[in-house]
Amino acid sequence: METLGNLVFGLGVALSWQNILYCLIGCILGTVVGVLPGIGPVATVAMLLPFTFQLGPAPALIMLAGIYYGAQYGGSTTAILINIPGETSSVVTTIDGHQMARRGRAGPALGIAAIGSFAAGCIATLVIAYFAPLLAEVALKFSPAEYFSLMVFGLIAAVVLARGSLIKAIAMVCLGILLGLVGTDVNSGAVRFAFGQPELGDGIGFVAIAMAFFGIADVVINLERRDEQEVFTSRIGSVLPTWEDLRQSFWSIMRGTALGSVLGILPGGGALLASFAAYMVEKKVAKPPRTFGEGDIRGVAGPESANNAGAQTSFIPMLTLGIPSNPTMALMIGALTIQGIAPGPQVMTERPELFWGLIASMWVGNLMLLVLNLPMVGLWIKLLAVPYRLLFPAIFVFCCIGAYTVDGKIFDVYAIAVLSALAYLLLKLDCEPAPLILGFILGPLMEENLRRALMIAFGDVTVFVTRPLSAAFLIASVALLVVIALPSLRAKREEAMQE
Amino acid sequence: MHIRSPRDFWAGLVFVAFGAGFVALALQYRLGDLHRIGPGMFPVLVGTLLSGLGLIVAARALALEGPAIERVHVRPLVVSLAAIVLFALALQWLGLVAAIAVLVLVGAYASPEVRPLQVVALAVFLIVFAVAVFVWLLGLPLPLWPA
Repeated sequence: METLGNLVFGLGVALSWQNILYCLIGCILGTVVGVLPGIGPVATVAMLLPFTFQLGPAPALIMLAGIYYGAQYGGSTTAILINIPGETSSVVTTIDGHQMARRGRAGPALGIAAIGSFAAGCIATLVIAYFAPLLAEVALKFSPAEYFSLMVFGLIAAVVLARGSLIKAIAMVCLGILLGLVGTDVNSGAVRFAFGQPELGDGIGFVAIAMAFFGIADVVINLERRDEQEVFTSRIGSVLPTWEDLRQSFWSIMRGTALGSVLGILPGGGALLASFAAYMVEKKVAKPPRTFGEGDIRGVAGPESANNAGAQTSFIPMLTLGIPSNPTMALMIGALTIQGIAPGPQVMTERPELFWGLIASMWVGNLMLLVLNLPMVGLWIKLLAVPYRLLFPAIFVFCCIGAYTVDGKIFDVYAIAVLSALAYLLLKLDCEPAPLILGFILGPLMEENLRRALMIAFGDVTVFVTRPLSAAFLIASVALLVVIALPSLRAKREEAMQE
Repeated sequence: MHIRSPRDFWAGLVFVAFGAGFVALALQYRLGDLHRIGPGMFPVLVGTLLSGLGLIVAARALALEGPAIERVHVRPLVVSLAAIVLFALALQWLGLVAAIAVLVLVGAYASPEVRPLQVVALAVFLIVFAVAVFVWLLGLPLPLWPA
């Protein structure tokens, strides 16, 4: 009952005309930029961050969340129509979605993706409303030792799901942590790794890092590759799926939503894992005849529902623990910090309007996306025709202005240039940027909690294993590493990533 | 010694270099003890871990076969970075309008395929858009013209 009351309270916040407007703007911007080829959700959220600086915390977060699921939706559109996944979580959508488009069923594919996402979003919002308070309550009792171990676990879980080499991903986390430590140590006041540059005393801007890794360096690599881009020319037709489509997809949507909601809560989970898992499940349990790989609508319905549910429930660890499970959530934490709010379990009790308003706005946003996307998809796909040579200078402009406006420091623009060079080098060496961003956000927090935990325990390092919850997190981290290092499982994981 | 996996080998060395660099710098700060860890302790630990992982990655690259490093194209990288640096300089001395113009007009040449008229039109469009949205609508503090 309490949850219901909270949701109603949240709806009150989300349905103020101002917040509806920001949610709508967020959804539209997110969809537009998400549809543009070659810009994924992380870059979209990062580039559009400056739009929220002048807003209060609640409207800013509501708008960013709108941008996020708008971008996700836009990513699915490109996945279906031109076989280019906007981000990794819509990779599996390309398999059956694009096949459907090739067979003249692009409309129903887009339609079922929107309907599935909407259903998943509604259910996931309820999951958040029930689970987040429970988790926040537990988290409020965490001591620094538990927090430290939880962050270790979160980071390990996140890298296990990254593509490619596990060791390189962990190394990227470490590099991210170290870059996150640049600047003034809040505890001792010592200025670290600043090379005598006063501007570096404030640390490296996280917006600059995000822009460099997900914006500029990505553009440079894209320009090198100059892939032949498939142009979508055929007509979409009606986006309304038939009753038969809906009947066929209903259980896929439900299964996808359930899977996505659960996997999204896990640290390191979120949309990516959810969509892969949902596709595999559909392949196994869907009623014959199964035509997966040849345009089976359930291959779109399941993963699209799952990735939306997962994207949404991944807000739970971000909101209640202050721990990002993916780069987008890292950006959200950065946005909160810019707004002067320290993410963590206290947000729910201290800023209920922010917390419940955001959750309720997800439902509003999903409804908007459904209404926006189904009738207007014809308009969005016109954006697919924008050539990359006109798009990338615009990305430069948004990234540079965005980095500058965070603090009004020219230095942050130079920082983008330097960090982009580093990002380019690392991307060339096949190192994933996501773990670095997570490490960057969590680094200072880990140090602070490590310091506090040891201070309370009078320097006794066994505190991390004698406190049961802390020990559980550490054991789980080790277990994950061992499990993933087992050759048989590793082969499976690589196989799954390949698919 | 034969490098079988160039990407991993060089990635490993980059990690070792960064790890060692951070450790070397961090050792100049107070380490403290376990009860009260100083500003140097955590970076030394993480830097050591990073170097260690880098060594493993590099060593494995000598044993396990892996893909070659994709060719580095000089033009997109150098032109992009130069355009950003010019943007920073221009924003400081000449204001936003000139800065965007420079960024777009130079940056567009990062692509091997440039159509000058389109680029000029794009620059004008982006200037109008940025000024209208960021400065007028959102009221972000950006200097428009030379101070």
